[in-house]
Amino acid sequence: MEYIVVSVLNGVVHGLLLFMVSAGLTLIFGMMGVLNFAHAWFYMLGAYVGFTLTRLGGFWIGLLLAPIVAGLAGVLVERYMLRRVHKYGHAHELLLTFGLAFIIEEVIKLFYGDALVSYQMPNYMRFAAFTIFETNYPFYRLFMGAVALAMFVILYLLLTRTRVGIVVRAATYRPTTVEALGHNLPVVYMAVFAGGSALAGLAGAVAGAFYPTGPNMAVDFGTLVFVVVVIGGLGSVVGALIASLMIGLFISFSVGLNVSIADLFGLIGLGSWASDVGGLFTLQLSTIANSMPFLLMLLVLLIRPAGLMGDRQ
Amino acid sequence: MINARTIVPLLAALGLLVILPLFLSPNLLNAAIKMMIAALFALAFALAMGQAGMLSFGHSAYYGLGAFAALHLMRAVEHKLFGFPTPMIPLAGALIGFLFGLVFGWFATQRTGVYFSMVTLALAELLFTLAPTWNALFGGESGISTIRGPSWGINFGSDADVYYLTLGWFVVSAWCMWAFTKTPVGRLALALRDNEQRVRFLGFNTHVARTLIFAISCLFTGVAGALLAIANEAANYTIFSAQASANVVLQTFIGGAGTFFGPALGAMIMTFFARITSDLTRSWLLYQGLIFVLVMLFAPQGLGGLADLHARKVRTNGWKHLVAPYLLCLVVGLLLIAGLVFVVESIHVVLTDAYLAKRAAAKGEWVPYELFGQTFEPFSPVTWAIPIMLVAIGSTLLPVARRITARAWLAATRDVPDEPIAPSASAAPVAPPS
Amino acid sequence: MTRTIVAATCFAACLVTSVANAEPVKIALIESLSGGQAVTGKLFQSAVKYGLAKVEAEKAWPDGIKLLEYDNQGGPSEAADKLKAAINDGAQIIIQGASSAIGGQITADVQKHNARNPGKEIMWINVGAEAMEFTGPKCHFYHFRWNGNAEIRLKAMLIAMKDANALGTKVYIIGQNYSWGHDVQKLTRDYAKEYGYTIVGDVIHDVNKIQDFAPYVAKIKEAGPDTVVTGNWSNDLLLLMKAAGDSGLKARFLAYWIDQPGNIANAGDTADGHYTQSTFFPDANGEKTAAFAEDFKAKTGQYPLNVQGHVTHAMWGLGEALKALKAKPGDKLNVKALASAMENVTVDTSMGPIKMRSEDHQALVPLAIAVVSKDAKFKADNTERGFKTIKLLTGEQASSPVQPSCKMDRPKS
Repeated sequence: MEYIVVSVLNGVVHGLLLFMVSAGLTLIFGMMGVLNFAHAWFYMLGAYVGFTLTRLGGFWIGLLLAPIVAGLAGVLVERYMLRRVHKYGHAHELLLTFGLAFIIEEVIKLFYGDALVSYQMPNYMRFAAFTIFETNYPFYRLFMGAVALAMFVILYLLLTRTRVGIVVRAATYRPTTVEALGHNLPVVYMAVFAGGSALAGLAGAVAGAFYPTGPNMAVDFGTLVFVVVVIGGLGSVVGALIASLMIGLFISFSVGLNVSIADLFGLIGLGSWASDVGGLFTLQLSTIANSMPFLLMLLVLLIRPAGLMGDRQ
Repeated sequence: MINARTIVPLLAALGLLVILPLFLSPNLLNAAIKMMIAALFALAFALAMGQAGMLSFGHSAYYGLGAFAALHLMRAVEHKLFGFPTPMIPLAGALIGFLFGLVFGWFATQRTGVYFSMVTLALAELLFTLAPTWNALFGGESGISTIRGPSWGINFGSDADVYYLTLGWFVVSAWCMWAFTKTPVGRLALALRDNEQRVRFLGFNTHVARTLIFAISCLFTGVAGALLAIANEAANYTIFSAQASANVVLQTFIGGAGTFFGPALGAMIMTFFARITSDLTRSWLLYQGLIFVLVMLFAPQGLGGLADLHARKVRTNGWKHLVAPYLLCLVVGLLLIAGLVFVVESIHVVLTDAYLAKRAAAKGEWVPYELFGQTFEPFSPVTWAIPIMLVAIGSTLLPVARRITARAWLAATRDVPDEPIAPSASAAPVAPPS
Repeated sequence: MTRTIVAATCFAACLVTSVANAEPVKIALIESLSGGQAVTGKLFQSAVKYGLAKVEAEKAWPDGIKLLEYDNQGGPSEAADKLKAAINDGAQIIIQGASSAIGGQITADVQKHNARNPGKEIMWINVGAEAMEFTGPKCHFYHFRWNGNAEIRLKAMLIAMKDANALGTKVYIIGQNYSWGHDVQKLTRDYAKEYGYTIVGDVIHDVNKIQDFAPYVAKIKEAGPDTVVTGNWSNDLLLLMKAAGDSGLKARFLAYWIDQPGNIANAGDTADGHYTQSTFFPDANGEKTAAFAEDFKAKTGQYPLNVQGHVTHAMWGLGEALKALKAKPGDKLNVKALASAMENVTVDTSMGPIKMRSEDHQALVPLAIAVVSKDAKFKADNTERGFKTIKLLTGEQASSPVQPSCKMDRPKS
């Protein structure tokens, strides 16, 4: 019981964190179809902005300005770079953002060095929110979860309940019609990209204070954010949330499961044969738990390519 | 298609490649081997990408599998399980690459566009995760190591031997791929890229066709991987990394995915760039990133595309108009680059621990720093004037250079209608209309 | 066009090399100086420079030594290229350490080169690749390991913690799913009887892919260990420590690599009370180590940390071996003779003498075991915390037996 409750709690919070990082990409990749490889690097940018401003002015100023800086960077990238290569297709957008990822990472390293930086949450946020089965539950984990949920609610309402949201969603399906109706499509795209980047920046400023902020923090999320968006279904914020939670819970529970394919073969009496084969068959689930998102994505793509909640192919 | 105008330069290039080892230093010889392997990898990748429009994010899987297949074969030979001529080892890579290309490709090609890319990415990532834990096949963290055995009376100990082995396979593979694009299946690939639906209506089984084309791309990718294994005599699981997959995509597009030889050109240039600059500066990845961005922004058709454009549009005597403007562009570019490099490297030096230690020793004084063998005062006007002047002159000349080049281009090109050079431009070398 | 430039550069390069005479001994450092692992590579780089400065100052080789630096970009394939480049540039001694994967490539390539080029041997001075196999099945005459390995380091920590009554009887193992993690896991099991503890559980996980260690900590907590042994490094260690600290896990960690830069600053109070070890701590041996640390800081900008102690010592060991050859100006270095000299070299350091063991070319390195504490005399990462040494073991005390799998093939001279 204890294990289940703690695992659920951990899984949900980790899932929410994943959602927080990939929420912006559901807009950029999911809605605009831009393969923005640099998304995780905007997350990194946000963390370093948060780190710098925490030193200069305070944690909350960092939290406030990190999304603004990341959003402005997003405006520049969209307006002066992506827009120029959009007509050449996905690959060019990907490569451009790939180069951008290099540039962001190397410039940050140039100024902040190759080692981790000490980006810490304020001390008054460092306490156990509650104790469950003698396990302290850090308040900051709940705080991150709350930020992620707030992000979700705002995004969801914005997209479904406001005129802006309707225009954005329409632009993803029928761009020419939207333009013909008198909406300034380039501005819509720029705003969406900036919004997505800002969300990544905010995620960086929030999560960076809990997880190590360092030169490798973007690479760690680099492809995982795409996995979340694809599993969830392109353009679906709800899907991304569900996908994130699924991945978080899946990892959280699989850590405790020491089963391998050989054990499954054992059920039909081939256990010893499978153990002898070794390799793939004897890998325990807990040891490869964090590669599971890719397997999940593979299954989703092959079985239901539109993703869990997506409606497009 | 094959006429004197294309065959003569090709033969000349081949001849040059054959005698090249006589002139190259050992370092450059080794670089040449790696450049050819990278070029072959890029050509194989571009076969799926440029021809059939399949943007694979997971080609490192077949590259790595080809390498490990070759290593296991070499190991078997080393331990005298059976004999196998060393020059034929890449066949193992070809076979394994093709088989896995068929199996993985069958799944991946059920999807198109971004979804196809994601399937290939997921497959490669899974392999990357499993490989370090599967000791028997991939040798754990330190990988598999073996030695090239002598065969056919050749020792294969020296880099020159490896160079000719690689060259042989490169030429044969490149020719096979080029010939493939001329076969009916190769032509079908182009059609698949441009309009898959219509191909299906014509009665072709597009899934089978796409799988086959993907597998053939993987076959040559496997050859490239095997050549790498032969050159390094070892490999470990990092060969499967997403980084390797990304590199080949980048190199292909820098070179120009729309032309046949562009990807090879891009791969060679970027491999050489990485090799040279990584020992010169710690910020080489920043410069590499800048190259990607600049090429995508200002030459989206890639270097090969630019060359192709010139070959098609510049009149026979048009070059005399272009030489001077291009030199000017070169100067402007160099000025801007020099300014940027100066700033980046200065920041780098001033923020190193060693420099901070010097400052600490001098009680916090901004002591002079060394760069490019010169000494600079951090706050001397001269130090600041250098990059400012470089960038200022460069950016003043930039619009001038652009205007002059644009005018020269008009004068140099003949009056043919300006067709758009999208990445989907025909891959076949276009014969000039006479 | 490019080819003519290439040929021209080559021509120029050939000219340059043929003109110089009375050449210094060339030593090549092949490390990850860019990309994700640059932080480790640069630790090695600055310590190698610092160590060799003394070797050069003492004129260990009459014609001097020259350090060449190569960036292996963190990959074995690139490392193979750079090794070739180094050999072509005339390097006879190769230094590398940041990764066992790259070490595997280098050690195999060195062996092949030596087999193919008798009389032009090169040697690998291993300053950080810790996998057991380098002094086990893969050991060879031209490889010398100047750092520890999984066994030496574990044994040292167990001895010290047993002495300090800090070990307890219930041990949990958490490690990364590759050779290093497996080594640590196996050794911790093997030593259970000798040091009187039982293994209450173990888990192996993906390497540097995990963002959230809370589930693992929940699992550890269920098992209720006194001590958690982990060979984790980088993010995997930091996140684990933070998750454990945040959840209020009472167990202390016996962690190999807490002293990597940035860990203390990031972990904050969650690192307090955990045990670690190193080949150098500034407070390990009183005045001697303190003086060394201060000198190191004056030259490089920070106290020696993590690998930098033994990297420096390795360079001095190389210096001693060079001196033992008693060369005259104009002599060319014979690497075979140098390797023979290094087999029995002893170097005096602030941590105590370090002796190279000839049977498997594993140096007997003194190890200091420390606890993370606010009382530490020398602070780490500009924080209020540091490493407080609780015990200093000599090289012999910390040594592990020669692995039977090592069959050293010595050249007949």
